[in-house]
Amino acid sequence: MEEKGYNADVLVIGAGIAGIEASLLLSRSGRKVYLVEKTSYIGGNVIKYEEVFSNMECATCMVAPKQQELLQDKNIELLTLSEVETIQGSFGNFVVKVKKRARYVDLQNCIGCSACFEPCPVSLKNEFEQGLGERKAIYVPCPGALPNVPAIDTENCLRFKKGEDCQLCKEACMFEAIDFTQKDEEIELKVGAIIVTTGFTTFDPTKTPQFGYGKLSDVYTAFEFERMYASNGPTGGNIVLKNGESPKSVAIIHCVGRKEKGYCSTVCCMYSLKFIHYLKHKLPDVKISEFYSDLCIPGKSYQKFYEKMKETGVNLIRSDGIEVSEEGKGMVVKHKSGTGEENGLAVDMVILAPAIEPRPDAPELSKVLDIPQDTDGFFTEEHSEFASVCTPKQGVFIAGCVQGPKDIQDSVAQSEAAVGKVLSTL
Amino acid sequence: MEEKIGVYVCECGPNIADNVHIDRVLDAVSGLEGVVVAKRHKLLCSEDGKKFLKQNIEEHGLTHLVIAACSPKLHELTFMNVCEEAGLNPYLFQLANIREQCAWIVEDKEEATEKAIRYTRAAVSRIRYHTPLEKKEIESNPDVLVIGGGIAGIEASLLLASKDRKVYLVEKTSSIGGMAKEFKQLFPKMEPTSNILEQKVQDVLKNENIEAFTDTKVEEVLGFFGNFVVKVKKKTETEENEFKVGAVVVTTGLNLFDPTKLSRYGYGTLSDVYTALEFERMNTKGKILLKNGNPPKSVGIIHCVGREEKGYCSRVCCLYSIKFARYLKAEIPVVNISQFYSDLCVPGKSYQRFYEETKEEGVDFIRAQDIEVTESNGQMSVNYKIESRKPKTEHRNVDMVILAPAIESSGDSSEIAETLNIHQGDEGFFTEEHEKLGPVSTSLEGVFIAGCAQGPKSIPDSIVQAEAVAGRILSSLIPGRKLEPEVKISEISDAFCIGCKTCISVCPYSAIVFDEIKRISVVNEVLCRGCGNCSAACPSGAASHKHFTFRQVYQEVMEALR
Repeated sequence: MEEKGYNADVLVIGAGIAGIEASLLLSRSGRKVYLVEKTSYIGGNVIKYEEVFSNMECATCMVAPKQQELLQDKNIELLTLSEVETIQGSFGNFVVKVKKRARYVDLQNCIGCSACFEPCPVSLKNEFEQGLGERKAIYVPCPGALPNVPAIDTENCLRFKKGEDCQLCKEACMFEAIDFTQKDEEIELKVGAIIVTTGFTTFDPTKTPQFGYGKLSDVYTAFEFERMYASNGPTGGNIVLKNGESPKSVAIIHCVGRKEKGYCSTVCCMYSLKFIHYLKHKLPDVKISEFYSDLCIPGKSYQKFYEKMKETGVNLIRSDGIEVSEEGKGMVVKHKSGTGEENGLAVDMVILAPAIEPRPDAPELSKVLDIPQDTDGFFTEEHSEFASVCTPKQGVFIAGCVQGPKDIQDSVAQSEAAVGKVLSTL
Repeated sequence: MEEKIGVYVCECGPNIADNVHIDRVLDAVSGLEGVVVAKRHKLLCSEDGKKFLKQNIEEHGLTHLVIAACSPKLHELTFMNVCEEAGLNPYLFQLANIREQCAWIVEDKEEATEKAIRYTRAAVSRIRYHTPLEKKEIESNPDVLVIGGGIAGIEASLLLASKDRKVYLVEKTSSIGGMAKEFKQLFPKMEPTSNILEQKVQDVLKNENIEAFTDTKVEEVLGFFGNFVVKVKKKTETEENEFKVGAVVVTTGLNLFDPTKLSRYGYGTLSDVYTALEFERMNTKGKILLKNGNPPKSVGIIHCVGREEKGYCSRVCCLYSIKFARYLKAEIPVVNISQFYSDLCVPGKSYQRFYEETKEEGVDFIRAQDIEVTESNGQMSVNYKIESRKPKTEHRNVDMVILAPAIESSGDSSEIAETLNIHQGDEGFFTEEHEKLGPVSTSLEGVFIAGCAQGPKSIPDSIVQAEAVAGRILSSLIPGRKLEPEVKISEISDAFCIGCKTCISVCPYSAIVFDEIKRISVVNEVLCRGCGNCSAACPSGAASHKHFTFRQVYQEVMEALR
């Protein structure tokens, strides 16, 4: 590429579904791809879902072949536990500094047998499981995570944090895969273009105390409920209350944080309807009430899904002024109808659908990349109508929820679009 | 040549060795016909293990290789690569999964061993019937046909055209630009459409790598990914134009639901009831006026016209209805505007603010049901029910009614679907390959869809899809590069095929054609992806999967069940 005066390689930041799709397409075209991922695994948020709307396909089964393909792709250099620190240069000639944290487990030698977890004396809440399950200081986030190689969490490992001479994990490993001498690395990459696919997080519902999250025991976020339903999750897929019993009645509250954020997050109505399927599948007699303001089910196939879910006998209540409080052994959802009538509904479990928002590290990344964020914190496209995957900075593209809330289909389309832009211009 | 089968069992450290008696597996296969060597190894996927395998293949002159180890998902490719390096055709290798399916899940070591023996013997039984499969390369044409010159077709053409890739853009009307050129401004920023769209149209017309045909229809598309032959015909001419392309992009856009089908809205019977498109045109061309020449004092905008009939939400109607309020307020500041809606659908980061700002300008939003437009004594009125404990009917007098009709698939969709051999959903839009992961590809490789041809969507989403199509084509159809089709595919025996066409009806990839002269079905080796539907459905045993032949599967299953 020297003679052309530019570099055709591409950096993709974030290995969620958008980043994976973009990397695979670029590799197929013959480009060298550096895929930088902050966590120890690939797959992003999609692998947290047991099933996806509206065809209720198993998300892991859908994404795993893509993940495997990516891990075996010789054109793609995957850098896990890595973050972009600085970027210099311009379109065609970026110089990128990446900090790659040590995994302390050798990617080649480890075969993913998980023998190292058991002896680890440290036990803490598993963030991937939204705190509903536990993990060790050497861990993979969930069974089936890829690459299926654990990482040592140095913030909590006795050896790294407290300087103790613990090496129980190393002793348990038959493959000499655990290597305490690994060091963090500074890696310099030269690329011509950058695609940012760092995804989203969800609104913290403790900021809206009326929904009882954090105070009442059986109020869950959508992500928590996803993990509860997941067969590889902390309850093995059983929907249970904190007291160990199955809920008899569940309220699903839409639009949590919508007013605070000032936008509709696009996917909450659909996944809240999907939860009806989850609940009815495991607990056929459960009573379900959905509290919504406006049903947002745009597109050719989503209303059909809504109608199918409606047939299950779910109680769809258009309401506002929702408050969740404790009453006796259970909870009551107070709500106001459109005409101002106030009602209360007793339930055992509440599931909140919180707004999609930019990741907390978005401001930092925006500085590193020198691209703007809009008032909501999402990265700003070059032109909202005609160039939604381009940024004002030439050669830097955005795709997926980093640009704004959207569903998987639209995230994949954007990532393919970013590839289209890269391949047609560089 | 006499077969020399080598069997290698991986201990996978303690993972297999701890719960399977590996020596008993080796004993159980050693005596089998054709097996010349059976050995164990600590970890076959390690560098040392791969070297060991390679040496063994060469040393024993193995003709077939069986490995009993982990899931093929993990290391099938690893071992296939080893075979290739050792000069053994990689399809003469079989992996028996005795880790995930035996050692890890069967608690009792005796039972796990028994199962592992059966799996490994089954693999040996099957591999005798493997045949070497060879990779093929075919020439491909990088040029692209784009059908439909709307904003999606324009965007795709501009991204795809380059000095080594020609684009043929075929538009059935007399000009390119599509429906978007009817819009004066775009939500949510109320930016004029013409600036950017005109520029893009000019870019297309000036681009020497894009050949644009207007007033032209696609008559025929034959062939397959990389090698399509296309015939197009201009309305005014009798001669057909023929050219070759490697991929086809369908960006045929949309139609609007015909509101005369729903008489309650008064469209076609009352004088000042307009469709959204008519209102756009009125605003783009000049002033917003009633039929009597006066500007309207009050306007009712009715959402979701035809939604119930179509069975889906058209995604953009709420937003352009809000935009219409902006048009009206800009032209006629004192006008009263009432929006009659069912559910407000304003998904995405900037649209709710657009709604709120418009509402603050004094636009009424009324959640209404059972809407009806009537006229008495020259006064139009919108009658509707509102949500309350007792159904309550209300009405508003208006001078003008604007209807937001559902987005439908383009009128010629069925014809195009037939010409290209792609699928339409029940709603009439073209069906994507996969709802989540393949939004712009179709079940027919090399044919792509973008914009409202795939489903109702906004301009930015249509453009994204068009760019996505460019991403798919630019990454797979590269000038000068040959295509490598899937190796593990189906074949249909000339001798056994009875011409019943069952296989054609079950093939999801349109990969089987019927040879009218020989009266038999023929597999297109480029399009076939090896799903095996045809071989399962074939009543005469003519269709078979090259890597899952009846004999291979029968031998494997019989040995496993022995």
